[in-house]
Amino acid sequence: MHEVAVAQRIVDALVETAGRHGGGFVRIARLDLGALTCVDPETLAFAFEVACRDTCAEGCRLEIARLPLVLRCRGCGDEGPRAGPVEPCPGCGAIGGDVLQGRELRLTTLDLDEPAQVEEVA
Amino acid sequence: MTEVAIQRDVLSDNDAAAAANRARFQAAGTYVLNLMSGPGAGKTTLLERTAEALRGKVRLGVIVGDIQTRRDADRIGRHGVPVHQVNTGGGCHLDARMLTAALDVMDPADFDVLIVENVGNLVCPAEFDLGETDKAMILSVTEGADKPAKYPLMFHESRLMILGKVDLLPYVDFDPDAAVADARALNPGLAVLRLSSTTGEGLDAWTRWLLQRRRQVRDGR
Repeated sequence: MHEVAVAQRIVDALVETAGRHGGGFVRIARLDLGALTCVDPETLAFAFEVACRDTCAEGCRLEIARLPLVLRCRGCGDEGPRAGPVEPCPGCGAIGGDVLQGRELRLTTLDLDEPAQVEEVA
Repeated sequence: MTEVAIQRDVLSDNDAAAAANRARFQAAGTYVLNLMSGPGAGKTTLLERTAEALRGKVRLGVIVGDIQTRRDADRIGRHGVPVHQVNTGGGCHLDARMLTAALDVMDPADFDVLIVENVGNLVCPAEFDLGETDKAMILSVTEGADKPAKYPLMFHESRLMILGKVDLLPYVDFDPDAAVADARALNPGLAVLRLSSTTGEGLDAWTRWLLQRRRQVRDGR
């Protein structure tokens, strides 16, 4: 439900990073999105497109890598992906576990046009 | 085209603001509770009862987040506690900077206990660290026992879950044991209290929990 706020923060980070690297356009941004995060990817993609307008990320593609939930069982220590946070452990049947992966909401890499190349093409 | 590694948590600016808030609360010795729930679970009513119960015992302040209106702040303010309203203007949660701005009005040094009533929403508020000492939540029995499994994050993040409106248990299909089992599967250390603001059941246990946590934090335990 807070995808607009998240999209705005992503665009802020893109603009700042592009500025530090010479001010080119951002073409692709890659995001890790954990399954336990309260962010809907489709809504985020739409909010992102809008938030990019009139910035150096206008038209930027957002590549979202959805990271499955990975739990460590508190009964037997089994580590593995689970369909949900209160699913039984496949090893011992204990419910739930400690979250090893699933809370990610992290920008990983982005592709930048180098400003010099843009000028040459123009 | 150049690929640039960035590796940044999208909410890192919020986390930095939250850390600054937390340092300020620690310096002031103020216990800050971020109270969360879905809309209509009974946060405001509980805080009205809490204001009455703690009158003269601790210096209590309340910061209320809502999308619109001052209604909740006005209700709580009638019970003689300082209240500050934060309107998020459409935002579905409070974030750390909104709380920082509220502290210009509600100086932590003036309070022993500061309760932040978050926007009524079972999803988003859990995602944003405010710098609070603890998070607590209300799950009211009218909402259904399936909520921990369906909306896990808030249950995962909270130190205390209040089962609210328990006076209505005879009239609704709600299995408290199942709800608590699912919530503790997410968060084994979760404390649970049964409470009804209507009958007063559990109110003493709630204020005792609050005062005990305040003492533990103050004494560095």
